[in-house]
Amino acid sequence: MTQPLTALFIFAIVSVVAVLLFRPQKGWIVRLVAALRVTERVQVEDSLKHLYDCESHRTTCTLQSLSGALGRSGDRTAQLVDRLQQLGLSEPTESGFGLTAAGRREALRVIRSHRLWERYLAEETGVEASEWHRQADQREHTLSADETESLALRMGQPRYDPHGDPIPTASGEIVLPTGKALTEIAAGEASEIVHIEDEPEAIFSQLMVEGLYPGMRVRMIENTPRIVRFEAAAEEHALAPVLAGNVTVAPLAEDTQVADMHAHLSSLSPGDEATVAGLSPRCRGQERRRLLDLGVVPGTRIVAEMRSPSGDPTAYRIRGAVIALRSEQADLVDIESLGAEEGP
Amino acid sequence: MSEPLPEACAVCPAHNVANLVKLGVDMDDWDYVVALAGNPNTGKSTVFNALTGLRQHTGNWPGKTVARAEGGFSIGEDRFKLVDLPGTYSLLSSSYDEEIARDFIVFGQPDVTVIVVDASRLERNLNLALQVLEITDRAVVCLNLMDEAKRHGLDVDHRRLARDLGVPVVPCSARYGQGLEELNQAISDVASGRTVCRPRRVGGRSKLLERAVGALAEEISSRYPSLPNAQWVALRLLDGDERLAAAVRSDELALLQAPEQDGARPPTAGASDGENVADPASILTLASTQRWMVGADFHQALVETVYTEAARLADRAVSRDGEKARFDFESTLDRLVTSRVFGFPLMLAMLTAVFWLTIAGANVPSAMLADLLIESGHPMLKGFATAVGLPWWLDGLLIDGMYLATAWVISVMLPPMAIFFPLFTLLEDFGYLPRVAFNLDRLFSRSGAHGKQALTMAMGFGCNAAGIIAARIIESPRERLIAIITNNFALCNGRWPTQILIASIFVGSLAPPYLAGLVSALAVVSIAVLGIFLTFLVSWLLSRTVLRGEVSTFTLELPPYRPPRVLRTLYTSLMDRTLFVLWRAVVFALPAGAVIWLISNIEIGNQSLAARLVDGLDPLGALIGLSGVILLAYIVAIPANEIVVPTILMLTVMVTRLSGVGEGISEGAGVMFELDSMEATGELFRSAGWTLLMGVNLMLFSLVHNPCSTTIYTIWKETRSAKWTGVASLLPVAMGMVLCFLVAQVWRLFTG
Repeated sequence: MTQPLTALFIFAIVSVVAVLLFRPQKGWIVRLVAALRVTERVQVEDSLKHLYDCESHRTTCTLQSLSGALGRSGDRTAQLVDRLQQLGLSEPTESGFGLTAAGRREALRVIRSHRLWERYLAEETGVEASEWHRQADQREHTLSADETESLALRMGQPRYDPHGDPIPTASGEIVLPTGKALTEIAAGEASEIVHIEDEPEAIFSQLMVEGLYPGMRVRMIENTPRIVRFEAAAEEHALAPVLAGNVTVAPLAEDTQVADMHAHLSSLSPGDEATVAGLSPRCRGQERRRLLDLGVVPGTRIVAEMRSPSGDPTAYRIRGAVIALRSEQADLVDIESLGAEEGP
Repeated sequence: MSEPLPEACAVCPAHNVANLVKLGVDMDDWDYVVALAGNPNTGKSTVFNALTGLRQHTGNWPGKTVARAEGGFSIGEDRFKLVDLPGTYSLLSSSYDEEIARDFIVFGQPDVTVIVVDASRLERNLNLALQVLEITDRAVVCLNLMDEAKRHGLDVDHRRLARDLGVPVVPCSARYGQGLEELNQAISDVASGRTVCRPRRVGGRSKLLERAVGALAEEISSRYPSLPNAQWVALRLLDGDERLAAAVRSDELALLQAPEQDGARPPTAGASDGENVADPASILTLASTQRWMVGADFHQALVETVYTEAARLADRAVSRDGEKARFDFESTLDRLVTSRVFGFPLMLAMLTAVFWLTIAGANVPSAMLADLLIESGHPMLKGFATAVGLPWWLDGLLIDGMYLATAWVISVMLPPMAIFFPLFTLLEDFGYLPRVAFNLDRLFSRSGAHGKQALTMAMGFGCNAAGIIAARIIESPRERLIAIITNNFALCNGRWPTQILIASIFVGSLAPPYLAGLVSALAVVSIAVLGIFLTFLVSWLLSRTVLRGEVSTFTLELPPYRPPRVLRTLYTSLMDRTLFVLWRAVVFALPAGAVIWLISNIEIGNQSLAARLVDGLDPLGALIGLSGVILLAYIVAIPANEIVVPTILMLTVMVTRLSGVGEGISEGAGVMFELDSMEATGELFRSAGWTLLMGVNLMLFSLVHNPCSTTIYTIWKETRSAKWTGVASLLPVAMGMVLCFLVAQVWRLFTG
């Protein structure tokens, strides 16, 4: 019989190797597959996206910026640029290089796939918001034109991705984004978030943690080069300008009542009563449809009935039925007119 | 059928047999098809059973993989087929249940759709009723639970409601059999065309929307002139409903038209008189351009209009003079069972009582059954076989193998399940179980699971297969899979006896005699607790690895408390759960018995196949602190945990060739047996070289190993996925092997 120590030692080695191999996201197998995936097609498409980015930000695209974006050495990037020009997708400009008409079409096609896939992840799966961009970055290179179109058809030709970016149409038209950075808003001004930049990931995930989303209404409290403080969803947020710069807002119409900076359903205590003002835009897909089905529509009267002894979920009386919602769901429901329930 | 009856069919509504057959409804013996729709918790199953006279048994779980429940009844000369649709809150969103219900009403075109409505919560229920009335104009509203409404001090004016809705409204209390005759009459009237419905269609949409719907509906009507619900189809297309878009694309809608007097019009567009007939592509193009006009909030606006209309109608029909805020008793009870102080103790007491009643109550009948089937039944059959002169191998295969295995499963399994399931169902019927889920949800949500998993787990302590079926109550796909995969870690009733036996022999004997009982009980309980811990651990791991990204939506309705109907509950839980699970177990035990007998009796060289297998498995067994005998027993006894111990005993005797044990029944190899006393069993194990380590590991492995084949089959039936069935079956075995291995090696490290 094997010595216990030897057996345990072998077991430990086997487990460590298995973990290294199969770890999600960082495992060797995942990395190997990812490395194999970086084909010429991927590189060409990624470069086109970068060139399109430069174009829409009206900056000049150079060899340096491209090699930075792709994370590749200058030499190999230069080869890639040659290849792009051979394919007729890119052409030199005065100070750098840009897209040809064919290149722009191709770039928009890739962007369409990317944003449609993000939309798909947001609406029809339970993939977390911080994962959308990364997964779409991979899928955009493997979706065929047919798959992209049938995806678009199934989702009913959506117009915006979950970050608020317009999705180019199949014929390559795109609505140009409007609005300005959150850092350009003066104190006291009210506006609506229209877009949250999903790159770099670190900044994006901080904005997600902050609970910001396109469609959220904000009112600036203080805007200095040191800090940006604003009110949103009845809470005060403070961001470093570098974060706030990645949030695009559009001014609200003059007559919009910013008073409907609503509180959330989760703020009700048992016995309290409120009226639903609406569902947050963050509430998507199945979750949104389910809540609507349950009768959580604007105008519905909701009474918080009781809270679970463990603190969550809370049961609400909604149109005659008592339904328990977890606090993260109740966070998605905006309410008006707080008050204690009156006796019958 | 020699004479066609053209007159009769002028009044009879479109009866679309072809479509129904396509949906899997057998229409051979029926004149009409009636669909039963309604919200969950409105007593839909009760109505179903009241109408069909208990000819069908339904659980009250909505479930996607369940075949629709179907039953039949007759009114006068006419025979009606009743199809029970999944309970849904709406037909607008696209959860799987809603799709099934919606597709049946749209494409099956039942002759009558009965909409079961909870009279005490009319507003919420009318929401669904209005949606059904958009689709079909042959409907009857069954205003159920009138008794409950009365208790709440509500007075529902059903005549006014009938006028407002444009369809017959029948008040009833199906639970007490009230109003059923009127319901039958209304169904029969609508089916035969004596009552013609003019259902209300929801208005109150914005001008913009009306224009878009109108334009699209016009196109649709030009293509399908006698489609009864063009407006509704237009709305669905505007909402981006892919199922209906597909039906337009494939021209399936043409089949849904009411037949014309002058013979059916061919569905092809060219056949019309050259008018402007839209083709499917142009309908879809118009729909997608209009979609851009109606805006992104269209779906929400749609839901809002229906709810607003439902609220308005409910307001007109219900007088709330005597209304109580919420039934006082109910509020008080709810406050009590979910209170911080009493919530958890009450829950524990309740569950302990159920388990205690099960274990204590099952002992006597179990012993009686064993006595009847094994002690006396087996020798009797053997004697009979000898008298008839059956060849020894046939007699062995049939009686020693198949009969004995089945008898064992029945005697161990039946009594506890026949006690546990009815008790559990009573709590469920009363409405207490959703409160348990409510109390415990926090615990489960932390590991990515659903509070209702507490119930499937509790059910799993009875039987894992039943627990897995119960997971249908979890609508959210991810949480449902988690509940299914981890149910095996709830120590099922087939494994308790093994745990108790082994704990008494090996663990209990370590303590002084007066503590032995307590110590072995503690050992068993800690195994069960380890199972609960593993449930959470594995749930957590699954939700963060393979199940990442599966859709997850949490909803938990806390239905009103209802007085449980004891007899009904006994009957249905026996039928649905106990006998159902038992039947499956028996089906799997039969071949297992045959296999066990065969491997013990087929000889290769001068050794039986079983002995050879044991030899082959011994090294692996030794490595993980078990033995070849135990491993082989777990392999051949995969159908049922109940026969693991008898198989181990049989194999042990066979391999070690001990004489003097199990006299009387152990003449033949492959005959499972149990010894009368625990001491004798312990004696046998020890003389076969069992150690304390083996005992402990056997307890661990009995908790953490593959589910029995009944359960595996049930997982497959419920998930319809080879992948998840594989994960659910193999993951626990792998975990069990690793766990036993680690325990064995560490044990040896310290004991030398």
